[in-house]
Amino acid sequence: MIRELYRTITSLTAMNGFIPLWRRPIALIAVISTPFSFLFFIYLFGGPSKILIGAIGGVLFTIVNASTMLQTDLLFYKLDLKFQQVVASTPINPLAYMFGLATGNIVFTLPGLAIFMAIIVYESHIGTLQILSVIGTLATTWVIFSMFSFLVSTRVREMRDIWPISVMFSIIFGVVPPIYYSISALPGPVQYVAYVVPTTWAAILLKGIVIQDFAGVALPALVFVIEMLCVLAFTSRFSDWRLNRS
Amino acid sequence: MPVPLESKSLKKIYRNKGRSTTAINDFTFSVKEKGVFSLLGRNGSGKTTFVKVSTTQLTPDDGYVRVFGKDVVEDEKELRHMISLVPQESRPFPHMTPYEHVYYFQKMNGKAREESKERAESVIGLLGMHDFARTECVNLSGGQKQLTMVAMALSLDTQIYFLDEPTIGLDIITRKGVWNAINKYRDAGKTILLTTHYLDEAAFLSDEIGIVSHGNFIKQGTLDELRSGLEYDTRVAMRGRVDHRAFEPYGKVHSDERGTVLFTSQEYVEKILSDSSVRKERIEIGPIGLDDVFISLVGEDIEVDEN
Repeated sequence: MIRELYRTITSLTAMNGFIPLWRRPIALIAVISTPFSFLFFIYLFGGPSKILIGAIGGVLFTIVNASTMLQTDLLFYKLDLKFQQVVASTPINPLAYMFGLATGNIVFTLPGLAIFMAIIVYESHIGTLQILSVIGTLATTWVIFSMFSFLVSTRVREMRDIWPISVMFSIIFGVVPPIYYSISALPGPVQYVAYVVPTTWAAILLKGIVIQDFAGVALPALVFVIEMLCVLAFTSRFSDWRLNRS
Repeated sequence: MPVPLESKSLKKIYRNKGRSTTAINDFTFSVKEKGVFSLLGRNGSGKTTFVKVSTTQLTPDDGYVRVFGKDVVEDEKELRHMISLVPQESRPFPHMTPYEHVYYFQKMNGKAREESKERAESVIGLLGMHDFARTECVNLSGGQKQLTMVAMALSLDTQIYFLDEPTIGLDIITRKGVWNAINKYRDAGKTILLTTHYLDEAAFLSDEIGIVSHGNFIKQGTLDELRSGLEYDTRVAMRGRVDHRAFEPYGKVHSDERGTVLFTSQEYVEKILSDSSVRKERIEIGPIGLDDVFISLVGEDIEVDEN
């Protein structure tokens, strides 16, 4: 069972990640261009002291953006190629399908993530435990937004609807939340709205791990994990994997 | 042994924003083991909806579909081990080769690397795809892309294969390539449900044909059985202007801008040929074809696309 799941996920990772990356490497530049542009402007206007915040923001934005853009791939495979129908008529588990494609999507971000991580380690001198905690936070963020993308893709019925939706979500979840700035900079009521967005907790966690040496990360970590479980339950309940079954 | 596919009083209604459309009103039929069963009908007749219900994509509103005795709703998980699907208008991944499609589809379904490789080689060989098996699909012709989808579905060792209009939009030469692939699997003792609105395709490939129209299953049988169900056994096609009233005593006359077709019995052929008003060089006589059966059962009115 575990072996079969592994084969399912690695096959889909190859189909959506390694093979297109090998044959169309230009996509690599497209994926990492936005967070590196942000880093450039942060350096330009904030100076070298803001590089660390820019890199933490960059690593988080890269994950959120790639996971949100997964919607487009999922919908393309569902509506244009009808591949989801092929898979849905086999015993393949829908979550394995989603994670396989999501892992493939992340393959494109790996060089960018590696550069950002190198900047973070160089600037903050963090140890192994902190690096692993950063990776854990990023992995949880990836799970949350990949599942969210899967949910959206199973609900959308027209390919042209997904482009504005994915761009809108990328901005709402990747740019607007307090990734590149402190949440305290937001007006009081807006802060409550920001706390609903998982990216906010991921940003608080990452800053707590990297800048504050784990100070005050317990509550954000708990909230973040609860959010992930809620998204998992919500996706399992409301995703419409096999066309409109009702 | 349960029958490969059985549908009883099947009904499926699409509901969208307060509107409902009945895609399938009543499909009652069964498919025999081994061979090709073609579901023949015009666009919007319910063929694709039936495939979607049978492959557990949609749930029926009434009635049931069973695949080798397994209900598409109650036993859906078990059933998915027994079926394989080529959806209508499906396309391969542009950046992958046909070989990769089959290989990764095997692995995706839990097969080990070596087994997946062997299976991919075997299917590619069987379907005669070696020449383009390692070319990216973006550079393949429409027929080669379609063959890739068929190869992927046929690579699974399942008990029944659902091919939903696998040759739609392809030219006749390319269609024949797909037909050969289907024939090879039929010869290997597999059961295939094929949907099509091409009469020649159904006539060429099918061991049995089911005719559907307006969401209803009309009739099933072999080509000969369907022909013999008609009142007439011979068609006489006449080009040019013909006074069709002269032929009404011999059978059923159908006229349109292309000419006149008389559906009649073999015994009247000599009398018709001796009729001085008939120009012999403009006449074609032959047995009733599937198109005649189809038109007599379904009619020629336009149906609305179900999708």
